[in-house]
This record gives sequence, structure tokens and C-alpha cells, in this order.
Amino acid sequence: MEELAKVPWAVIAPLIVVQFILMIVALVDLRKIHATNGPKILWVFLIIFTSYLGSIAYFIVGRKQS
Amino acid sequence: MRGFNVLLQKEFREAWRSWKFLWIPLVFALLGMSDPLTNYYMKDILNAVGNVPEGFEMLMPELMPVDLLQGSIGQFQTICLLVLMATFVGAISKERASGMATLLYVRPISFSAHFMSKFIVMSTVGFISILAGFAASIYYTVVLYGTFEIGPLVACFFTYFSWLLFVIAVTLMMSSTFKTVVATTCAFAVIFIGQILDSLVGTFWTISPWKLPLYGVQLMRGTMEMSDYWWSLAITLVISIICVIIGILTMKKNAPTTKI
Repeated sequence: MEELAKVPWAVIAPLIVVQFILMIVALVDLRKIHATNGPKILWVFLIIFTSYLGSIAYFIVGRKQS
Repeated sequence: MRGFNVLLQKEFREAWRSWKFLWIPLVFALLGMSDPLTNYYMKDILNAVGNVPEGFEMLMPELMPVDLLQGSIGQFQTICLLVLMATFVGAISKERASGMATLLYVRPISFSAHFMSKFIVMSTVGFISILAGFAASIYYTVVLYGTFEIGPLVACFFTYFSWLLFVIAVTLMMSSTFKTVVATTCAFAVIFIGQILDSLVGTFWTISPWKLPLYGVQLMRGTMEMSDYWWSLAITLVISIICVIIGILTMKKNAPTTKI
């Protein structure tokens, strides 16, 4: 716990929050969208495991405009 | 400009429903944060990932707040512009390819209203995005390094925004002139190869749109030759307006190519 207290949260927190929001937005959109380019489950893993690049990639190439 | 308000509402709604107002500013904010943070923690990062040899001494440069803003703008210039252009380059050409344009073109709307509605939505997204990006960058710079003067900062912001308007105008012009694939290639070529050329042989001239982001930073440093600045700004705005006009004309010309 002492290690955790040493982390400068005022500096790190906004970064984490923004990344988290981006991830949530991408996941919500993925939940709502009818079809994606490529299998949906692939995008779920990409968004969750590649910090923000996965979400960006999803929004640019993953969404299929009907 | 018949039906301008209706078209504007439609574009706004579409951009809103596809989350463009949310995720593009978030990307800008993330990249704006990254530069001050990585610079501040450079020593820790090197210790954590690099095989730094024993007794390795490194002198870190003393960074001014302006340097960090310049770094952030450098980030915006590559990845963020890529994101912004890639999202909007299909705005007109994709509509033609998917046949949605047919539904619009059979109605008595003017092409300039249609084009301008897209242009305004795209520049609104761009404005919010660089607002978020600058805010994130400035927040970290102020927390970690030091403060800015507010006047030059606003000037720098709006200089960057006029460069963004140029980028948007070029993107939409390409989109209305060509098919999506060709439009993407041409728009990226103009913006990114233009940047590379300008950084390679740009010392021979002082007035060009591609220099504008750098001029914004120099404005903050107070080393700017003001006549160069005003000429660059004027030329950028004139080229943007010309691009918009060409875009409207080619949109009209390409209307018959829409898929039915």
C-alpha cells in the first residue's frame, strides 16, 4: 500500500480517466453497432488490451457504415 | 443556401450518433498529455525500459513550457491529423458510393449548403478537439513545469485552428472530387508530404501554410517576424476558401456519378 501512496495521483489520474472513457465509449458503441469489419470479439479484445490505439483503430476502420 | 439549417442539423446528429464529438477530442487530449508526461518522466522511463549501463550520466535539457507545447503540437501534426482526416475523408465520397447521396440530390437543396454544412461540422469537431488537446497539454505543463502568458497562448491556439481549417478544406475538397481511396491518398499526400517537404527545403521560403503551426509557437516565444506571419495566415485562409469553392463545384459536377 505504501507503494501505491507514493504514486503521484494528481498527475496520473487524468491520463487513466481519459483512457478509460475512450475504452468505455468504444465498447458501448461496439455493443450497439449492427456489424463491424472483422469479427466483433476481435474488436473487444483489441479495445481492452491495447490501451488507446485499439479504440482509435476501432473508430476509424472497425465501424461499418451501413 | 436552401435547406442549410436542416442539413446542418442532420450532419450534427450524424456526427453525434457516431460519437465523433467524444472520441476525437479524447484522442487529442491523450496525445496532448503524452508529451509533457514523457518528458517529465524521461529518466524514470529510461531506467525502467532501457539497458542503461552502470554509471551512465545524462544531462537533461532544461525545458521551457513553450517547448512542451511545441512537442504536443508536433503530436497533433501527425497522429491527430491522421485521425481527423481519416474520419472525415469519406464524408462526401462515401455518401456517393453508398447511394445515400441520391436521396439528397433529388431534393431541391443547394450544393453549397450541403458542402458548408459538412465543413462547419468538421471544423466544430476540430475546434473542440484542439481545445481538448491544448487544455490537456497546458494542464500538465502548468502542473509539472510552469505557467504560460495567456495572450500569446490564445494567439497560438487560433493560429493552429486556421491551419486546421486549411486541412479540413483540403480534405473535403478531395472527398468531393475523387472516390474515397483516391481522396485519402491525395489528401494525405498534400498535408503530410507537404509537411515533410516544408521541413526539408522549407528554409528557402518563409511564407507557406505548412509553416503555420510552427509560427504559432514562435509567436509564443516572441521571435516571430510579424509580416511573414500575417502573409502565411492570409495565404492559408485564401487557399482554404479556394478549396471550398472547388469542392462545391466538383460536388455539383460529380453528382451524376452517385450510385442509385
